[in-house]
Amino acid sequence: MNIIVLIKQVPDTTDVKLDPKTGSLIREGVESIINPDDRHALEAAISLKKAEGGKVTVLSMGPPQTIDALSEAIGMGANEAILLSDSAFAGADTWSTSFTLGKSIEKIGGYDLIFCGRQAIDGDTAQIGPQVADYLHVPQVTYVFEIEKIQKKNIIVKKRLEDGYERVQCNLPALLTVIGELNVPRYPMVGRLIDACKEKSPIKIWNASDIGVQAKDVGLEGSFTQVIKTFAPKFKRQGEMLEGDAKKIAGTLVEKLKENKLI
Amino acid sequence: MLRSDPEKLIRKVMARFVDEEVIPVAREIDEKGEFPFDLFKKIADMGVLGIRYPKKVGGSGGNTTLYCIAMEELARGLLSLAAVTAMQCLMATNGLYLYGTKEMHEEYLRPALRGEKIGAFQLTEPEAGSDLSAVRTLATKASDGYVINGMKTWSTSGPYGDFHTVLCQTDPDKKLRGLMFFFIPTDTPGFSHSKKFETLGTRTSALSEIYFNNCHVPPEYMLGELGRGLDVLLTILAEIRIMTAALALGLHRAAMDDSIKYCKERVQFGKPIGKYQLIQAKIANMAVNLEAGRLMVDKVTHQIDNKISCLNEASMGKYFTVESACSATDEAMRIFGAYGYSMEYNVQRYYRDNRFLLYGGGTHEVLQTTIARQYLR
Repeated sequence: MNIIVLIKQVPDTTDVKLDPKTGSLIREGVESIINPDDRHALEAAISLKKAEGGKVTVLSMGPPQTIDALSEAIGMGANEAILLSDSAFAGADTWSTSFTLGKSIEKIGGYDLIFCGRQAIDGDTAQIGPQVADYLHVPQVTYVFEIEKIQKKNIIVKKRLEDGYERVQCNLPALLTVIGELNVPRYPMVGRLIDACKEKSPIKIWNASDIGVQAKDVGLEGSFTQVIKTFAPKFKRQGEMLEGDAKKIAGTLVEKLKENKLI
Repeated sequence: MLRSDPEKLIRKVMARFVDEEVIPVAREIDEKGEFPFDLFKKIADMGVLGIRYPKKVGGSGGNTTLYCIAMEELARGLLSLAAVTAMQCLMATNGLYLYGTKEMHEEYLRPALRGEKIGAFQLTEPEAGSDLSAVRTLATKASDGYVINGMKTWSTSGPYGDFHTVLCQTDPDKKLRGLMFFFIPTDTPGFSHSKKFETLGTRTSALSEIYFNNCHVPPEYMLGELGRGLDVLLTILAEIRIMTAALALGLHRAAMDDSIKYCKERVQFGKPIGKYQLIQAKIANMAVNLEAGRLMVDKVTHQIDNKISCLNEASMGKYFTVESACSATDEAMRIFGAYGYSMEYNVQRYYRDNRFLLYGGGTHEVLQTTIARQYLR
């Protein structure tokens, strides 16, 4: 069972702050992490590899610091990782990103399954998985929360719906996007992390020419959409959580009501 | 070649583990006062226990710097858990690693690095603390090994250890040169221990007395060359001290993190107490001491990894960071006011736990003397 996992490195916050002048993300002081749903995708792939044999290849597109996400994936048990990093890839929209990932998967070849997280916490589009499947012409199942059975030529999974689930059988190779309900991701092994940092670690770095694409077809130039403006939504009201025991919370609440001249 | 920095990567992964797995349950574990074997196994499953040992013996192939980073992060979550982990990674297993036979590695070291067996390190006796020449636990030569008689106290992991590295006197006339470490499995006939001590802090790490009554061990259980027994301790003394310093950094950070959060939330006279300069001074002192301590620990761990002699620097690092952590936990209690005095917040645990750091690796009274001696020779 050869599995490819698509992961993204994202800022470790759901409370993203934007520079009001430039509209860009303020990354200072915010740690980068593997996108949470993608950690579940990694866990699914690694567990499946342990059960069925084969190998797990992790693929990510991003700036050089994305290497940390790939090192962590190796630490969790992936066999190899590929970082797609090239200035030509910068500014890609989801279509351009999916095209670049698709081209890379074609180059890797010989896969049975592709796992992705449902969506990334920084963009929330949930478009990459379906678009990559579309590009590769492979069947896809999204919102997978249980892998029921895997056979040589097909897989049976359950996908979450708003009011229940669907049990789906699909042929392999296929692409699955997974949700957190699927599993509990393991922590990386320290020894594997240390090895991932060594020169001989199984992490490759590919640029545009490595996957046979031209700069005009990828990144901002290859994108059909462009972000004109990014802005933070304005909150008219904001809640505040009070902490402590009941007595302390009640006291603080009364103080605040008095401060605001409500009592 | 683009590669990750292992120090940043290990810190990041350990920090996430501590935030997700340790901090949410730390208070409950401390209140119960029972050792969290399930958490310890999770730490072992990540390969942390073997972080400073090579892969050929079941380790993770790291070094002292990575070890201390991992211990600092664990101590930020729960000092007693970090202390037992630190013991297992270093003092409890290093003699076994250096001087144990291949069979001993298979039977004890590898399982210990997998978290399946727990090791303990026995130095202190009722009359022999900093003064090791006063050790009275006797190892008498027999025809087929040694017979151990005596007792130890303040043994971390003593009540549930599976094996022990024990300092014994082989020839009282030779004093320090007669001291040797012996490897003694718990199932050796004649081995027993007292009940767990009740302690002020680090309540989940079990401390006890250990008794040896005609414990017979084979000759290969004597660790090291006769007459050079203290090498087992001296080769890792700098590492023990700087590891203790790393634990202090973790505790310091926990106290500081909680203080910062609280002084942003706690409103008095119409504004958060963090807006008052006397509170700001406390936070500033915590931050400055933390940064200075980090530099000392970082310097010494890299010296150890590069095989540069650094015992004096390690002693300074231990002394400074532990005193700083004591100060930070005390200041945290003051920032929290009366709430610091209640059991409702974690700062009381940090304040109680800080005392543990004062003794292991050398009391500060002894450390100050040895540091000063370097300058007064």
